[in-house]
Amino acid sequence: MDLSAGFVFTCPFKTNSGNKALSHLPVELAGFNAARPLVVASAGTEGQKAVRILKSAFGDSGMTLALFDNVTQAADLGLVDHLKNLCLEKKVDAVIALGGGKAADVAKVLNLAVSLKTPDARQLLPETPIRVRLLPLVVAPAAGADGLETSRFAHLGRKVFSSESLAPVLAVLDPCLAKGKSSIGMAAAGLAALGRAVESHIQADQNPFRKAYSFAAIRFVRENLPAAVADPGNRKASLALLNAAAMSGCAFSNAAAGRLHKLGQVFYDLLGIPQGVIMAMCLPHILGDYLKEGQYDLAALFQPLAGDDAFARTPAGKRAEAACDLLNRFLKELQDALGKDLPKSLAEAGVPGYRKEEILDVLGADEEGRYLCGIVERVANGRPERKG
Amino acid sequence: MRHCRAGGQRKTGKEGVIPMLLPDYYEFCCRVKIVAGHDALGKIPDLLIERGAKKPLIVTDKGVAGAGLIDIVSRAIGDRVAAGLIADDVPPDSDLRVVNRLARLYRDNACDSLLAVGGGSVMDTAKGVNIVVSENADDLMAFSGAGALNRHLKPLIAVPTTAGTGSEVTQVAVVKDHEKHLKMAFTSYFLLPDIAVLDSRMTLTMPPFITAMTGMDAMSHAVEAYYCLQKNPLSDAHARAAVGMIYRQLPLAAKNPEDRDSRLAMAVAACLAGIAFSNSMVGLVHNLGHATGSVCGVPHGLCMAILLPYGLEYNMHKRADIMAELLLPMAGEEVYLATPAERRAEKVVSLIRGLNEELHAVTGGRHARCLQEIRDREGKPSVPRDILPEIARAALLDGASIYNPEDTDYEDNLLVLEAAWEGKPLDRTRVKKG
Repeated sequence: MDLSAGFVFTCPFKTNSGNKALSHLPVELAGFNAARPLVVASAGTEGQKAVRILKSAFGDSGMTLALFDNVTQAADLGLVDHLKNLCLEKKVDAVIALGGGKAADVAKVLNLAVSLKTPDARQLLPETPIRVRLLPLVVAPAAGADGLETSRFAHLGRKVFSSESLAPVLAVLDPCLAKGKSSIGMAAAGLAALGRAVESHIQADQNPFRKAYSFAAIRFVRENLPAAVADPGNRKASLALLNAAAMSGCAFSNAAAGRLHKLGQVFYDLLGIPQGVIMAMCLPHILGDYLKEGQYDLAALFQPLAGDDAFARTPAGKRAEAACDLLNRFLKELQDALGKDLPKSLAEAGVPGYRKEEILDVLGADEEGRYLCGIVERVANGRPERKG
Repeated sequence: MRHCRAGGQRKTGKEGVIPMLLPDYYEFCCRVKIVAGHDALGKIPDLLIERGAKKPLIVTDKGVAGAGLIDIVSRAIGDRVAAGLIADDVPPDSDLRVVNRLARLYRDNACDSLLAVGGGSVMDTAKGVNIVVSENADDLMAFSGAGALNRHLKPLIAVPTTAGTGSEVTQVAVVKDHEKHLKMAFTSYFLLPDIAVLDSRMTLTMPPFITAMTGMDAMSHAVEAYYCLQKNPLSDAHARAAVGMIYRQLPLAAKNPEDRDSRLAMAVAACLAGIAFSNSMVGLVHNLGHATGSVCGVPHGLCMAILLPYGLEYNMHKRADIMAELLLPMAGEEVYLATPAERRAEKVVSLIRGLNEELHAVTGGRHARCLQEIRDREGKPSVPRDILPEIARAALLDGASIYNPEDTDYEDNLLVLEAAWEGKPLDRTRVKKG
């Protein structure tokens, strides 16, 4: 790895993973001198279950827990402004994003609004300078977390906020929250983590710190996703996936946004299709193109995917192709296991033509728009990927 | 912080791959921003300004300043921030009086941040000063022990000048009260520096002998982190990367001190190793090394270099498969494939001994290969054989043995020390298997 160009790396969050990690949260908050956290959770039964677990964890901690458990996909800056007023009224001194996904996005931007004392949070802009230290933000993702929870990014409406300051100080990965309800939910979450970790792992400007996170994330997904899909209640596999998601968020925050991420994000924002579903659809095409054009360090994927023995046995010149083959087989096995639940094309996903046009319009504005639109066309009807 | 011990040998899974470890519980934290490069120092003004600081107190020692490193730092910083106040009298052993005096200097000059340029003692001192000035206190000792700090301190940028200790990424500061003969440990995530600046220019003038032992200190951090009980997936990933980089780059840096690329790689590797061990702890090697250092006053890195193969041998019956995983990053595919799986852990030991031999040759014999070869400045043996029992007893008081895979007692310590004194491989049949 050539380090001569220099690099910057940061992972602002601590990881607490495993048994009773949530129970330890009051101690962690006390370590930040915080005693009045606001919990931001998703609407619905998933969110309510997570809240029950968290409330019990706080038990007799003596802390005052404020709660908002009605975050939906439609959450916007108006909600943030409402919650900001709640925070000021309750003198909240920490924010806990419970369950991940949109709840984490809201919690990050809310933390920004409260810490900056923004009079009207609806006026917040991604380019708003952050010159103060924000309140401690904790994320406690649940099954279905896509990895962005631990990242420096928050997506709200069509705005993307990005800053190191937005990242959490702590990720609590508790097996009580890790178990999922559906196989496709586990698959989508694991594939989103995989997609972002893969893109971070192959980029040209590498550093060993980022690679440590992307390596571990890829390995965890490869080793545990099939078991989690077969049994979403599998305690060990689901916790490993939460770990993978958290690690991928760190790797992603320290890399340039890749094509898989961009595609996954736009379909999620506009159509609500889980990012991992789109990434799985597009991954063989994009990696196939990289392989054909000799772009990016695809060979680096082989060791975390295949393990040390296979890596050592495979000649260096064959590892890129072997990694792509292995990933394609891995996806195929998941698709076989999940059937129609993991669609292989936009048509199978039920995306109507006019919505596809909407997607193409948004992607067209990206600097790589032409290529990304081409990928959308290739996955529209499930044509097989080009051979490298 | 609560912790869980990671289990023993792991079962080989599907397709012959050993699954990645996921302990029942683990914690991992390194919130330090890493800024690395051949001109990383040039980024310091922006890093300070981003944090609302413009007048750092530079904390260093006479050795660092005398080697011209502060001049390099000052030139790289330029005049965008007021970095003219330099305290260069940090002693080799951190000192409470110096901490309190530098805190006064900081306040009297209305500084707003700290720039620590040096090794372990400088980092410890700067962290101590930061506690006093941030908490607006008079005396550091009010904040000893875990949990005494619960808010962010002033911005602290750490610029290590040796590639070894990893103290730029550790959450601990050890400060001695020489009047009361007390050694106080301060532990808090708030003691983590905000930023570690790893610049190849900081180690270009380090002589081969120091390069070798500080590099082996880093190697011992990474290797012990990898096989000791509190390992976790992230400490593993950092440790594996560090082991590979150190094994390849340390001989290059020792042979060609002005090789900028190997210097930068070693600074990065030592930082990786520091993150690994501060999140997974260390074992017997550090246990005996601390005791040897305190009883005989020999350099820590040299103790680590000598004792590391013995730590591996002592624990091999419990951790052979885990130790074996280090062979690939160290030696590459050819050696890995040529070595039968059941011999890989032993091969790792022989490669580390080989590395010590190579460093011995490169340094004209100054890098000792066994305890009996260590000499003081007058050329006298620093570790006479008859002092080994005292070291073995002192090691019983050191906490590092808690995380060692195999239990240790006085006889075990002596067994290892005697072998390390003679420079002979450990007779593993004599290790009591718990």
